[in-house]
Amino acid sequence: MRTTRFVVPAAAGVLVVAGLTGCGGGDDSDAKAGGPIAVKATDSACEVDSTEIEAGQVTFKVTNSGSKVNEFYVYAAGDRVMGEVENIAPGLSRELRVELPAGTYETACKPGMSGRGIRGALKVSGTVATVAPDAALGQATASYQRYVQSQTAALLTRTEEFVAAVKANDVARAKDLYPVARTYWERIEPVAESFGDLDPKIDGREEVVEEGMQFTGFHRIEKDLWTTGDISKDGAIADQLLVDVKAIVAKANAEKLTPLQLANGAKALLDEVASGKITGEEERYSHTDLWDFNANLEGSKAAIAALRPALEQRSPDLVKQLDTEFAAVEAALGKHRAGDGWKLHTQLSKAELKELSDSINALAEPISKVAAVVAR
Amino acid sequence: MFATYLIGLREGLEATLVVSILVAFLVKSQRRDRLPQVWAGVGLAVVLSVVFGWLIEYTSTSLLARSEDRELFEAVTSVAAVVFVTWMIFWMRKAARTIAGELRGKLTEALAVGSLAVAGMAFLAVIREGLETALIFYSAAQSAAGGTGAGALLSLAGGVATAVVIGFLLYRSALKINLSKFFTWTGALLILVAAGILKYGVHDFQEAGVLPGLNNQAFDISSTLDPNAWYGALLAGMFNITAAPTVLETIAWVAFAVPVLVLFLRKPAAPARPAAPAAPPASAAAPEPTPAGDAATTPAEPAATEASTDTAPQRA
Repeated sequence: MRTTRFVVPAAAGVLVVAGLTGCGGGDDSDAKAGGPIAVKATDSACEVDSTEIEAGQVTFKVTNSGSKVNEFYVYAAGDRVMGEVENIAPGLSRELRVELPAGTYETACKPGMSGRGIRGALKVSGTVATVAPDAALGQATASYQRYVQSQTAALLTRTEEFVAAVKANDVARAKDLYPVARTYWERIEPVAESFGDLDPKIDGREEVVEEGMQFTGFHRIEKDLWTTGDISKDGAIADQLLVDVKAIVAKANAEKLTPLQLANGAKALLDEVASGKITGEEERYSHTDLWDFNANLEGSKAAIAALRPALEQRSPDLVKQLDTEFAAVEAALGKHRAGDGWKLHTQLSKAELKELSDSINALAEPISKVAAVVAR
Repeated sequence: MFATYLIGLREGLEATLVVSILVAFLVKSQRRDRLPQVWAGVGLAVVLSVVFGWLIEYTSTSLLARSEDRELFEAVTSVAAVVFVTWMIFWMRKAARTIAGELRGKLTEALAVGSLAVAGMAFLAVIREGLETALIFYSAAQSAAGGTGAGALLSLAGGVATAVVIGFLLYRSALKINLSKFFTWTGALLILVAAGILKYGVHDFQEAGVLPGLNNQAFDISSTLDPNAWYGALLAGMFNITAAPTVLETIAWVAFAVPVLVLFLRKPAAPARPAAPAAPPASAAAPEPTPAGDAATTPAEPAATEASTDTAPQRA
């Protein structure tokens, strides 16, 4: 089969991502002596035959006796999909084969193919070793690397659009694109900041002049867009911005971060929020600080998500605390959504800003412990 | 039973739509000689899906047996399909331009269609969903064999058959419209389809754990767009419009559809007008009848109805 050669290495890659040790091909010794685990799914229930099982290769046989099309998922913590089977038509059964290391999981049936599904706990115990700690950290950097690549690609695309709008002297469109392009930048800012001069050139505020640099980049165009509304002379600035962004994207994709850098980056992003976004200093002309706030938060969350398997092994309690605090910040920030964007910084009251600031500080506390746990 | 029928319809549409546009395009641009390659690609994909599905269902193969590997397989084939389809979109644009400004006779030269590309596109369009569809069929066949009646099997087959009929109707109506409209409209339609396939691929990459953000939803309109309703199945099958997409797949959709649509619909620069009267088109004779049975409606010579172009005066 021609597909074989290419799917197996790819599948092996997926295994690594999922944090498993099994190999993509090879023997198929069912770890379960009793054969597949039966799952009875209906429109309102999801009965898993045994909810405490041995680690290894597990097969679920899901039978849908309801009237709606069903789906069956096995989730690891944080709703990471370990395996899923879709399109289980009424009256039919389908199998899900998945490799599960020891740990706690959730099973879910989704009658009607939507929503969070009917959840149930699944405990997996046994001897199939989970990944060695160092391997878990290795995966963390690999998976964060993929995140950086996806974000930088989008950053480049959005910056190109923004630059095109500026050069076309299309003020309205440039204003619309500005916070969007910045979102991708702000998500990976700690990576970007490790490249010396490029960061102030792209993201410097007016104060850089005091350090003998020219005031260029996003904020220079922001100033013209929102103060005078005249960007007819900004063509060169926009071109330079694109050149700089391209340079930083190339560098960011070539950069191999250490787990410690990830941990520190997650913290740095929160500090960014506290120092620049809450104060309204970053986007002083456009007041689109909440876009950046959200992006910093997402970037921080992505770094933590990449470290998650390693943190689970080393400090499960810290992971719980992080989940709680992230949820709290998201809830606090969520109040200020406006359409598919955010309210302007100027529309927030002192009390609202204080609430945001408090929630960020509460999250910064467990995040600051991550580095120490990673360094153990 | 209706729910099962809709599964067949949705999975079927995901494959037939691209194939029927491809066939219509080849017929319209007088490249019928390429049709065998299309059917070869489709046939190979179906056979492979059936064989692989059988291996997974009835033997203890570990190749693609894990759901994650299958997600990855679907994701990779979907993205590959997008590459092919995008290329075809711009091919159509070129065709539209050739018709708009130059001699229609040159159309065939302008479109030197690689047979491998055509076969590959048809193959990818079908294999994408073929494996999953085959597996659904096997599960239905097992229940039928188990004595619970063959209802599910018939519903599924009915759904797929309906998808094929829709594809065929699309093909037939595409043949009826005049040439430059045809290229513009089917091209635009194809862009939406391709954007949908890309979005689907991104979603599968997320499910396979290769891309992050599976639980980061852009919006959730399940209350309005019920995935269990017929229109939900149609929208999902044709354009992969889903009720609760992730942020990343939405970005992928927009990042593909918007620039490609803009590029596609951009007014092409007016090509040089030939001063001499046009030579007769290469093969404007009525196309020979095909098994598809479209001989009933030989498309009228487009020049007759085309106000937008200034081809040579119509020949009797």
